[in-house]
Parts: sequence; C-alpha cells; structure tokens
Amino acid sequence: MSAARGDVLVRLQGIGKDYPKVASGGDRLRTLAALLARRNDGPRFQALDGIDLEVRRGESLGLVGENGAGKSTLLKVIAGIVRPSRGTVGIDGRIGALIELGSGFHPEYTGRENIDLASALAGLSRRETRGKVDEIIAFADIGSHIDEPIKHYSSGMVVRLGFAVATALRPDILITDEILAVGDESFQKKCIAWLERYLSDGGTLLLCSHSMFHIQTLCSKALWIHHGQARMQGDRFDVTREYLAYHEEKTRTERVARVVAPDGRVPRIAELWTERADGTRADVFAKGETLVVQGLAFEPDDQAPVVLVGLVRIDGTPVFGALTNEDGFVPARIEPTRFGFALRFEGLPLLPGRYRARGHVLDAQGLRLFDTVEREFTVTGQTRDFGLVELPHAWSAGRGSDA
Amino acid sequence: MIDPANALESPARYRWLLAAFTRREVMNRYAGSVSGLAWTLLHPLAQLAIFAFVFSQVFRAGVPAEFASVNYTSFVAVALWPWIMFSEALSRGSSAVTANAGLIRKVAFPHRLLVYSTVLAGYCVHLVGFLVVLVVLRAMGEGIHLSTIPVALVLLLPYLAFATGLAAFLAALQALMRDVEHGIGIALTIGFYATPILYPASILPEGVRAWVQASPPAYFSQRMREVLIQGSGFAVGDLVAAAICLAVFFLGLWFFNRLAPHFEDFV
Repeated sequence: MSAARGDVLVRLQGIGKDYPKVASGGDRLRTLAALLARRNDGPRFQALDGIDLEVRRGESLGLVGENGAGKSTLLKVIAGIVRPSRGTVGIDGRIGALIELGSGFHPEYTGRENIDLASALAGLSRRETRGKVDEIIAFADIGSHIDEPIKHYSSGMVVRLGFAVATALRPDILITDEILAVGDESFQKKCIAWLERYLSDGGTLLLCSHSMFHIQTLCSKALWIHHGQARMQGDRFDVTREYLAYHEEKTRTERVARVVAPDGRVPRIAELWTERADGTRADVFAKGETLVVQGLAFEPDDQAPVVLVGLVRIDGTPVFGALTNEDGFVPARIEPTRFGFALRFEGLPLLPGRYRARGHVLDAQGLRLFDTVEREFTVTGQTRDFGLVELPHAWSAGRGSDA
Repeated sequence: MIDPANALESPARYRWLLAAFTRREVMNRYAGSVSGLAWTLLHPLAQLAIFAFVFSQVFRAGVPAEFASVNYTSFVAVALWPWIMFSEALSRGSSAVTANAGLIRKVAFPHRLLVYSTVLAGYCVHLVGFLVVLVVLRAMGEGIHLSTIPVALVLLLPYLAFATGLAAFLAALQALMRDVEHGIGIALTIGFYATPILYPASILPEGVRAWVQASPPAYFSQRMREVLIQGSGFAVGDLVAAAICLAVFFLGLWFFNRLAPHFEDFV
C-alpha cells in the first residue's frame, strides 16, 4: 500500500442495476434480443438505483439494510462481479473479495493444487503465487491435509484455505459479506487479528453486516441501503442509530404515535462528559482522584430508560460497567424526554493510561442496546504496577511450603 | 481509476488464469478414475475399432484409390481425431458458462476464459492421442507421412478457432436458454455422419458435395487425409478456410461478450 491515506479508492456514480424478470420462454427470447440490441426494456426488477459513493484509503464502510435491500449486489458491483446497468464504477487498487470463501476450489484436487487456481482468480500472477504458497499454507494451518483432495476437508478447513488465499493477496480494498464468523474459535481470532492489523496498516474495508456491533467496531462510516437506494450515509453511529430507529418504528404497531422528537425516534445518549468532584469538566485525572461520568439520555416515549455506563481502556478492553436497573437507580427526568444520570468513582483505581468513558442507552426492559457514546480521558500518575486497575493488595512472608 | 470488471485483463494474469483453468479442465475429465488420462486415448481407440470393424468387415467399405497407401482403419483415424477435438469442444464448451455458475456468481474474471480453457483442454488431450496413433500406424507399416505432421498441426489452428467461436456462441446462448444443451447432442450426431469421416467426400452425390465441403469440419477432414496420407503441403483453399474460421471466431466472441456482463443475471 504505497499511496497516501485519503486517496479515493472507490468511486460510484449513479449506480443502478436491473435484473430481468424471466418467467417464460418467450421472456427469455425477448431478453436475449434486448441484450443483443443493447436496449433496456422488457420486464425488469430494479435492485439498485442512483447510488453515489466515495471510499477513501484508510476508511472503512459498513453497509446496513434489510434482507434484499441490495447490499450484496452493491458489493458485487464494486468487486466487478456484477456489471451495473447504469452509472460508472471506478476502482483504484487491488480488490480482495471474500464473497464466498473457497468458491474457486475443485473438490478432486488437493489443497495445494487448488491454491494455484484460487490465487489466479484472486488476481495474482504465476510468480506472485509461487512466492506466496508457503505463506498461504502456513496461514491456513491445516497440516498434512494440504496434500489431500479438498473433498475430504471439513467445511471449516475449506474456509481456512480460502481466507488464507485472500490474505496473501494483500488487497487495497477488502470486501466481505458476513463471513467473519467462520472456522473454529482460534481461527476466528486469527481472522479478526489479521483484519485489525490490516485496518491499522491503512487498509480499506467494505463490510456488509446485520451486526451493528461489527459495523460500529470495524467501520468508520456507514451506508444504509433501502430498497436499492441510499437512504443515509455518514458517521457509523448516526447511520446505525437511524437504521435501528427505522426497525423500531416498523415493529411498534400497538403504540400510538406520540410527540415525535425532531432529532430521532429512538432512545439515545444526548450528552456525555467526564468531570471532577467539584463539577468542573475535565479529561485528565490523577490516579486516586474522583471521576464522575455525567450524561443526559433521550427517551422519545418519556419513560425512564436503562443506562449502562462503563470505563474501557483506549484499545476497547472493558474495565468495568454498571447498569442502572441492576443497581436500582432510575435516571431522573429533567425535562420531557430527557433523563439525567451521573456515575461517581471515588479514589479512581485506574492505572495511568488512556481510557474512555462509555455510555449506552437501552430500552426500558434493558434488553436492546440503542446507542453508544464515548468520551476519552487520561489518567496520570507514577506507578510501576501492571494491568488496568490497582486492586487492594498486601504482601507477606508466606508459609514457605504447602505443608 | 479502472472498472473492476476488467481488473484481470492484464496479459500476465490473464495467461496464468487461462493456464490454471485449462489444467483444471484437463484434470476434471478423469479426476477420480484410476487410469486417468489413459481414458482419453482409449475412448477414441474403441470408437475407431468399432467403425473399422463394422465398416470394413461388415459393410465391406473400401478406401478410394487416391488414399490406397493405407487401410480403412488409418483412413478413418486420420479424420476421426480432428472431429473428436471439434465435437468435444462444442459439447463441453457449450456448457462452460452454466457448469461454472458458482464461479460466475462469486468471482470477477473474464468469462470467455471458461470457453477457451474448455476447448483448449480437449484439443490438447486429443492432440496427444492423435500423434500417438499416427506414429503407431506408421510403425505398423501404414503409409502415413510423419514429415507433414507440422502442416496438419498448423491446419488444426484455424479449426480450433472455428470450434472456439461456435462454442462461445453456444455457451452464451445456453446461459439464457437451456435448450442448447439438449439440441447439441443431436446436432453433433448428424454432423458426424454428414461429414466425410467414415467415407470419402468423393462418394457424395454431386449436388450435396459442394455444400458439405463448404463446412469447415468437412474441409479439414479432407485436408487431413491429403496432408497425412498423400503428403501434400498447404493449399490456397487453406487461406480461405482460415479466413472463414477467424470470422466465425470473432462473431462467436462478439456474441459472447455482448451477453457476458449479464451471465450473472441468469445462471
């Protein structure tokens, strides 16, 4: 990846894709004639329409949308598998598409023989493939099975080999379609570790997922596709929140529409900040000082929401989190639809380092998580202790032996 | 900025992908069988044995005077292998797209490579068989000219282009209409008996002969005999035939490329 961060890698302009509807033999003949004459008529179904998109190097984009909204079709357009009916696609860089791992494999060949064709399909030349065979075999880590026909592999082993080929490609743009949950536990960890390194090295990821968690952790931006059109595009948290709001609206049949807040229809954290014991806002705290996480939650139905407030290390490792309903606290109604809360940590035991205060708002039952807001803060101090927090501890001489 | 659909069009990658596809095609044929590629030789040999027995022993078919230096078996063999290359290119090549539907739906690559590799694999496999048979017949004392084999090889090239063009046309058509699959077997059987392979072109009735000889399979069948049995070199007609074959190749490819962006919609 030689080019600079921020270059446009993917540019879509007015992308549309129609699929012909062919029900009868006559339809097929008519479609054939239309295709040969390059006419756009006949019965058709519009899978995508008017999609504009730009993805820059180092950015990651998550696609959200209902089943059949056109997410996969859009990924296939970017990967070059589907030719759009309208609009232009421009790609700058090498694409790695993990649309279905192992789709180029032949069951009768050994794993080693299959690496050739799979890497040729992935866009590697003969020389590049030769140089990477060992790396691929090492990553797949399937031992002596590599010299057995693929048909004797478990489905997990096929996927491991497929992922290994894809990683060897070192793509500038990686396109995946909900495939992160593959293989056994340890291989999944390996995939996630690879992906995180890929992203921190400035890789660009296009991910299509129904997991808002995946979108929020792996992507910086999100695009919501609705009935083949871009409904919303922008910051990951904004888009996922609006997307969840849409689902909330869709499933809420029994409730009568109430006063709808202008800025959204789902509970969310309206504000979140960190402050000292005296109430001054701050983002640097000495170890042992008092930290207060203050916030304001928005609940459109004017019912006290459940709030989860926690502390995480800067890399995302959770340190501690507390739920209001577990602790028997009800956020206080400050004004209609707005509820205040504050969580106080006295004698902050966090070891020096960078952390984030994280606030979530859940529905009244505490089951569905709607929003995530984070504020970064630093803990200062001098200590040579290890880990995240200082636990109460005491040294002694010990007994010397087990007896 | 490039169009991702053309990402694999660089010559080095393209050749390597074609080689990988062709290798897979060759291995596909007999993967899982014990004697593997030996079947590709045994199958035509069995056909040849049947024809030689039925036509020379039962029907008492003879060899015309101009090819009298060989027996009936050699007379048929010289034209049979090129036909097998051609007919296999059509029968397998026409389903190259539908047979690889999984790949077309999941991976971006130039789809015509599927047709090329299928046709190439058949030609390569049967070419080896053909050469072995020619050498063996010669060793048995048949009047086969080994020195003109290079001429025969060159003549097989336009025949290959012709077969590829037709296969590309049929493969694209079959992606939209599965009827091709059913029709092709019948068409090839008719083609086999309409082409002078088991008999010399000279015994056809006058009116029919001109039509039959205008077809590339009949033309190359006749030329193979002239080159390998009579030892003749290139003829002016070869240039005309090559031009027609190339025209068919490009027409078939044009048709294929027109429909290729839409394969994913149908397969």
